[in-house]
Formats: sequence, C-alpha cells, structure tokens
Amino acid sequence: MRVYVLRRLLGIVPTVLMITFVVFVMMRSVPGDPVVALLGDAYDEQDAIKVRASYGLDQPILVQYAIWLGKLARGDWGVSYMTGRPVLKDVLVRLPVTLELIVLSMAVALAIAVPAAIIGALRQNTWADYTATTIAMIGVSIPEFFIGVLLLLVFSIGLGGLLPSSGWTYLPGTCPTMVCGASLWGNAQHVLLPAIALGVGRAAILTRLLRASMLEVIRTEYVTTARAKGLSERPVVLKHALKNALIPTVTVMGLQVGFLIGGAIVVETLFAMPGLGTFGIDAIIARDYQQVQGFALLTALAFVVMNLVVDLTYTFLDPRIRYA
Amino acid sequence: MAIQPIRGGSLSEAEVTTAPRVAWPAPAERSESPLVQGLRRLRRSGTALVGVVIVVLLVTVAIFADVLAPQSPIASDQAHTFARPSWDHPLGTDQLGRDMLSRVIHGTRISLLVGVSSVLLALFVGVPFGMIAGFYGGRVDTLIMRVMDLILAFPIYLLAIILMVMFTPTAGLIGTMKVTGAIAIVRIPIYARLVRGSVLSIKEKEYVEACRALGVRDPWILFRHVLPNCLAPIIVTTTLGIATSIIVEATLSFLGLGTQPPTPSWGWDLKANISFIQANAWLSLFPGLAIFVTVLGFNLFGDGLRDALDPRLK
Repeated sequence: MRVYVLRRLLGIVPTVLMITFVVFVMMRSVPGDPVVALLGDAYDEQDAIKVRASYGLDQPILVQYAIWLGKLARGDWGVSYMTGRPVLKDVLVRLPVTLELIVLSMAVALAIAVPAAIIGALRQNTWADYTATTIAMIGVSIPEFFIGVLLLLVFSIGLGGLLPSSGWTYLPGTCPTMVCGASLWGNAQHVLLPAIALGVGRAAILTRLLRASMLEVIRTEYVTTARAKGLSERPVVLKHALKNALIPTVTVMGLQVGFLIGGAIVVETLFAMPGLGTFGIDAIIARDYQQVQGFALLTALAFVVMNLVVDLTYTFLDPRIRYA
Repeated sequence: MAIQPIRGGSLSEAEVTTAPRVAWPAPAERSESPLVQGLRRLRRSGTALVGVVIVVLLVTVAIFADVLAPQSPIASDQAHTFARPSWDHPLGTDQLGRDMLSRVIHGTRISLLVGVSSVLLALFVGVPFGMIAGFYGGRVDTLIMRVMDLILAFPIYLLAIILMVMFTPTAGLIGTMKVTGAIAIVRIPIYARLVRGSVLSIKEKEYVEACRALGVRDPWILFRHVLPNCLAPIIVTTTLGIATSIIVEATLSFLGLGTQPPTPSWGWDLKANISFIQANAWLSLFPGLAIFVTVLGFNLFGDGLRDALDPRLK
C-alpha cells in the first residue's frame, strides 16, 4: 500500500510537468504581446526589448520553461508582470478562499444527495422517488451561474439583502493584509450562497448516480442475507448497501473535479470572490504568463491529487480492493 | 368400413393450407436490430418524449428565428432602455434597448449550433481514432491514447478557457466556429476512449474473425461490422454530450470568452445583465431559463435513449 501511494505520488510529477508545459506553450502562442500591454501608452521599442530581456521573454520557449522549472524547484513561482508581486504569495492568499468554497459545496452536495438517493432507491417508483429524480434532473440541467443568479434574486435582492451578493470576509487567521475585518459570521454569510450555487449541481449528479447504484446493491444477495439474519434496516442500508454503492459514485465524482474547477471559476466570478478562480481567469485574460503558470500548476496538482485520493478511497470503501 | 385418413403421419390437403408451418418453416422474417428495438422502447418513455418535444421545438425556433423574433436582436433603441415586460417587448429590453425576446430567440441558434456541431466534430475525430486504436492495438494504440490522455489530464475548463484565449473570441459565425472548435477539442478523448473500449471487445467476436477469414479488408470490417455494433453507447453519449457542450458554451460565454457581442448569446446576456439585477431582475432570468430548458431537453432525451438502447443501465 505504501509503495503504491509512493509510486502514484511519483507518477504525479510527469503529469503535472506535462500540463504546465502545454499551458506554457499555449499561453505563448496567444496572439498579442504582454510587454505591449504592460508598457501601455509609454511603449517604446528600446524599453520593450529591455523589459523582454529582464523577464527572459527573449529566450526560446524551451529555455524559458526550463528557467521557470529551475526557479520552481527553488520555491520561486515567479513574479507577476502586471502587479510585480510574487505569484506564490498571491496564490497562497487566494487558495483558502477557493478551498473553503469547494469543501463546503461538496458538503452541500453530500447533505442533499445521500438522503435523496437512499429515499429514491428504497422507495423506488413512489412519489418520493419521482420527486427526487425529477429535482435531480432539473439540477443537472442548470448551469452553476444560473443557480447563483436565482439565489442572488431570492436571498440578496428579494429578502431585503439577507445575504451579501458579492465580496468576501476572510476567516479569522487567513487574512492577507494587516487590516481586514475577519470574522466567522461574516465569512459564513459570504460563503453560503456561492457554496450552494456550486453544490446543487454536484448534488444532482451525485443523487442520480448513487440512486442507480443503490438500486443495484439492494438487490444483491448479501443485502438479503443481512436482512434475513435479522439486522435492522438502518445498518443494512448504511453499512451494507450505501458503502458498496458509493464505489462507482466516487469514481465519477473524481472525474467531476475538472468541472468543479470550472464551476469555482464561474461562481467566484459571479459573486466577485477573491479566490483562485478569479485569479486564474484574470491572469489568463491579461496574459500574465507567470500568474497563469502558477494557476495551472496549482490546478494540475489539485486535479491529480484528487484523482489519487479517489483511488485510495476505494480501499476504504471496499477492503477487497488492495493496491500492491 | 370406411377408409379413414391416417392421422399423425401424413397431412391431408386441407390441413396443409391451414397449418403450413408444421411441414416447413415460413420464410424467416428479418429480425429487428437492437437499434430498432431500442427506438421502439423509446417511444413508450414519457420523459424521453418530453425531451424530444423540447428539442424539436428548439430546433424549429433556431431555424425560423428570423421569422419568429418580433424585432432585430441587435437593433438598439435608446428611447426604450430597461423597459419592463409589456406587449411590445414581452421579455422587456436591455440596457441598449434591445428586445430581450428577440435576443433569447436568436440565442437559440448559437447555443444549438455550438452544442450540436462541437459534439459532431469531436465525434468525427474521436470515433475513427478510437476505432483505429482499439482495432490495431500496439504502438498505434499507445500513441493515440497517450495524446487522448494528455487532453483528459487537463481540467476541462482550464483547457477550454486557454484555447478560447488562444483563438481570440470574436463575433458572428467565425466566433461561433472558434467556440465550437475549442469545445470539440476538449471532448474528442471522450469518444475515442468510449469507442476504443467497445472495439476491443467487438474485434474478438466470431463474426469479425469470419470476415477476416473471408479476406474482407480492414476498413470494410471497421465500418460495416465493428462500428454498427458500438453505435448504441455512441448515440447516448452524443445526446448527453450536446447538453454538456451547451453548458460549456454558456459558461465560456458567461466568462466573456464565447461568441462576442453583438451576436446574441445566452451566457453573455446573462452576465451582462447581472450588473443591473437589482432593478431589472428579469433580464438575467430569461437567458438563464433558456439555457436551462435547452439543457433539460437534451438531458431528458439522452436519458430516455440510454434506457431504451441499453436496458442494462436502467
């Protein structure tokens, strides 16, 4: 098991290198020159050449990538062309915001999906089941930003500004500057709507998958056996059925991480949150190569690590699965 | 004693005409293909029919958008900005005084065009590659699947967003084609993998071996015998894929990276009107509802197709 994890962790390296390299090459083939944008009206050919040289932009792409990697190995994520701030610092400030959003949205998704799927599967073809499946169908068909807009309409505008429509209050301890009003209550108010907006779609997908695999599992012989030996319904459902039904669901949730990253970008944009999503999209649009590289590196890492976590969850859900 | 016809052994003339099948088999009816059986099952599914109706309606709206839209979707009217829904403007007007109903109707075109054509494009590239990889195996397989895995290794939105920045979003048909291309690229591996998986099992079947023994050429085997047998999962994934592509298009367009204005696009309209949501809630509501109904239609249709074509998945 330990060897397996180690091997997988090593396997992360080439994947992350590949993703960052492709992003590197793609960003540099984007039409337009960031130096021109940086110098703006003060553009002058001589200055531009100097600026290019100072950022190493006059080197061949492969050399540039090697330099970036070399710096990365020493913990230097580069400096943003536009803001002049170190990328790592910016990323670390924004990471907690996005992490909080994603973790809470997954919590929202699970809180909705698990009960809904269990009820749907145990009472198949009843009104409860039809209601759960219909709502799930609607849920998978609404893009995150539209759920966000609906939530805004109800909670920020409709109910007299019950919850804020944009901005952020940091959790105590994650505040990036010396002066910022960090509070738990303020943070909860700001994160609630985005987390629901991002979580509802996931909940819908999860409900559909989990219901389907629950339906399969509760017809298996070991569930019949568990019932026959007089086990009460609760452990039968939660310990025997649910745990086994979760395996295919977890696989698909792992594949959903790519969509979750996109969802985070959208939801953060909609609610104007200072997270990684808005950081990434702003950097890509401004062609701030260093920031984009930092964003791509972190996303790639998150993506690959999540897939590893998914694989490791299997051993917990089904002890028969062993990795040698 | 009257002569009795012998029973059991032979048949009298009368018996032959009433029961011909006893003596010799009736000409065999051509058995229904699984696809036809599936479509027959589809007709009985209520939710799938709702999906079909929604999709057909949307296609009609997209085709006849010029006739159905009461006004031009891009003509601004400075005298009537932010008009509330009324008889003249059933869905109101936006900040430039453009008729929202006309914009929503014309938006159907972009949404369906990108949704359907990006999936078809991904299909036409992904399916042949998947078939070749699965059928020939070896180095060809490794090479093709490495490239596909490279694309799959990307979080889908990261790749789509960077591709759109590379293509530089523009308005009109060219702009639409760029979005189509970006979405198609990120979706190619899905079809390649799907088809490769099916081909791997189909190529071991006896009928493929029989073809080989008869000296049938590979392309003929692939297109005449292998492809039709992995069609069901392709059809289902395609229909559901259109729904996903429409959401991706709306999301890109929401982020300002889709088809650019003045071309009407639902995602863009929704985003542009969020700034005015306080006083004019309906402006963001209608493009959003349009996206929702479209995606729902394809999802219902796709779900019904899956239940019909692959009963094991039900």
